[in-house]
Amino acid sequence: MSKKKVVTSSGIEVRQKPLGLRIWNNRGYYIMFLPVLIFLLIMHYWPMLGVRYAFYDYKPVGPKTFVGLDHFTKMFSTQAFWTAFWNTLELSIANLLLTNISAVVVSIFLNEMKNLFAKKTLQTLIYLPHFMSWAVVASIFSLLLSPSSTGTVNGILRDWGILGEADKNIYFLASTSWWRPIYWFIQVWKETGWGTIIYLATLSGINPELYEAADIDGASRMQKIRFVTLPALSNTIITVLILNLAKVMNLFESVFVLYNNAVFEVSDVIATYIYRQTFAIALPNYGYSTAVGLFRSLVGCVLVLVCNQVSKKVRGRGIV
Amino acid sequence: MAKEMVSKKPSDKLHVFDIVNYIVFILIGLIIIVPIWKVVVDSFNKVGVYQFQLWPNTFTLDGYRTIIGTEQLYSPFIISVVTTLLGTLLGLVLSTLGGYVLVQFEMPGRSLFAYILLFTMIFSGGMIPEYLVMRRLGLVNNWWILVVKHGMNVYNLVLMRNFFEGIPASLYEAAKIDGCSPMGIFFKIVLPLSKAALASIGLMFSVAVWNDYSTVKIYITDPLQVNFQYKLRNMIMDGDTPISGYKVSQSTLYNAGIIAAVLPFMVLYPFLQKYFVKGVNIGAVKE
Repeated sequence: MSKKKVVTSSGIEVRQKPLGLRIWNNRGYYIMFLPVLIFLLIMHYWPMLGVRYAFYDYKPVGPKTFVGLDHFTKMFSTQAFWTAFWNTLELSIANLLLTNISAVVVSIFLNEMKNLFAKKTLQTLIYLPHFMSWAVVASIFSLLLSPSSTGTVNGILRDWGILGEADKNIYFLASTSWWRPIYWFIQVWKETGWGTIIYLATLSGINPELYEAADIDGASRMQKIRFVTLPALSNTIITVLILNLAKVMNLFESVFVLYNNAVFEVSDVIATYIYRQTFAIALPNYGYSTAVGLFRSLVGCVLVLVCNQVSKKVRGRGIV
Repeated sequence: MAKEMVSKKPSDKLHVFDIVNYIVFILIGLIIIVPIWKVVVDSFNKVGVYQFQLWPNTFTLDGYRTIIGTEQLYSPFIISVVTTLLGTLLGLVLSTLGGYVLVQFEMPGRSLFAYILLFTMIFSGGMIPEYLVMRRLGLVNNWWILVVKHGMNVYNLVLMRNFFEGIPASLYEAAKIDGCSPMGIFFKIVLPLSKAALASIGLMFSVAVWNDYSTVKIYITDPLQVNFQYKLRNMIMDGDTPISGYKVSQSTLYNAGIIAAVLPFMVLYPFLQKYFVKGVNIGAVKE
């Protein structure tokens, strides 16, 4: 038995008790961890065993047969898969940039607001859409953009004469040229406010002396924003980008509620592709969709590890 | 946050910058509020119109009456309420237990527990293996899937652990010396000191369960087991209206449905905003 010494919180050095005794002394904690462990094993680790199906043919009927890397070869030669892959990257990276640019701008100018009541009211208002579900937000905007006679946007376009008598109403969400701009607008509408929380917290921590020094130097409001506020935010901006870059493969629900079969080429992402390959075709091959899922998990995993390294370099601590 | 506001010199008058700033924020506020207000007004409007109105021109409660009186609509709502309550409860139980055990620094195996939790944040089996496991457990076509799936949330567990870490260790030690068991410390010291964290993390759980659409879409095909978000989205965007022949117009029903789907949290929101917001700051970036 090793005679390791440990220091207690009160600073006294004592000999560490043997492992068996330490485990016995902590038995209460192990019992408390048991439910967590059970759920963790069932909900997370058991499905991990299922990734082996990526190498099998596994259909709702019939036996499972080992097929090696066949699913991966099929996947990499399928056009729809690559469309989904690039869409995932394009949609989520654009989401990330757009919501963060707008969040930074909004928080800087919100921070300039002197009237505390106005500031608080606006904060309450802009956080609000974050708590609405994607299903609700999609419903709201699909009603506004609807091609029916109650569709607000089409109605207004008609009133303003942009749509003439002879023109048909535009079905925005089923248009390959409109879908993405609308998707990004909705994303910004829903998440900008929430994104400002973290930036506002950083801004409230800026030393007021910096602004006073800038005042003495005769800096204008815009100059103070440019040379004091923005540099103070840069660390937070980088952190938020790194944290979220690790999650780009997770993109799912926002697309899932808004896309439809008319706009797959611009909207289909990996997760929705997996969904359709499994639940929207007559005889799914669970093996194939598991393989696509495994690819998604692995890319996600690499992204997390890379972002973790970058994060350690940039700000001295990891993200996981 | 208020400090720099107060310290502004009284000589600062309203200049152009401020006026432009106010105008821009009024516009931002309008962009957020107009779509929401349109839904509120239309839910009381007898006939659907495309125009934006400040007030319903022909007031009716038929939309809400239809929801309350139609089984295909109120039963998903009840499922939403039940799953949210159970999911939040399970989530709080698991995250407090796990978070508490993770701050027992002298417990052998603590870092192993931390690793097996964190690994799930890096790698997952994916949608289909998860589906196959849940099917084997009988959770397909069963609203319990919503409870179970949200109850175990590693991210929230880590948030809870971060909060518990802030409780001074001397409190635990004093209790231990007094002969308090781990469970006793948990109930008598840790939980009473963590009311704010319980409120914010509990809210995060309940928003997540209440708002979930994808889980239902993936796991549930039985119309008697779906939640309200799913029912609403399907009704509005996939034309899955319960039965025809209502006296209520489609627009009134749809908009009333949207209001019903956001009502619980919108009612709570003004009172609990600080707890909603706090979750971000306990967990995320600590600069």
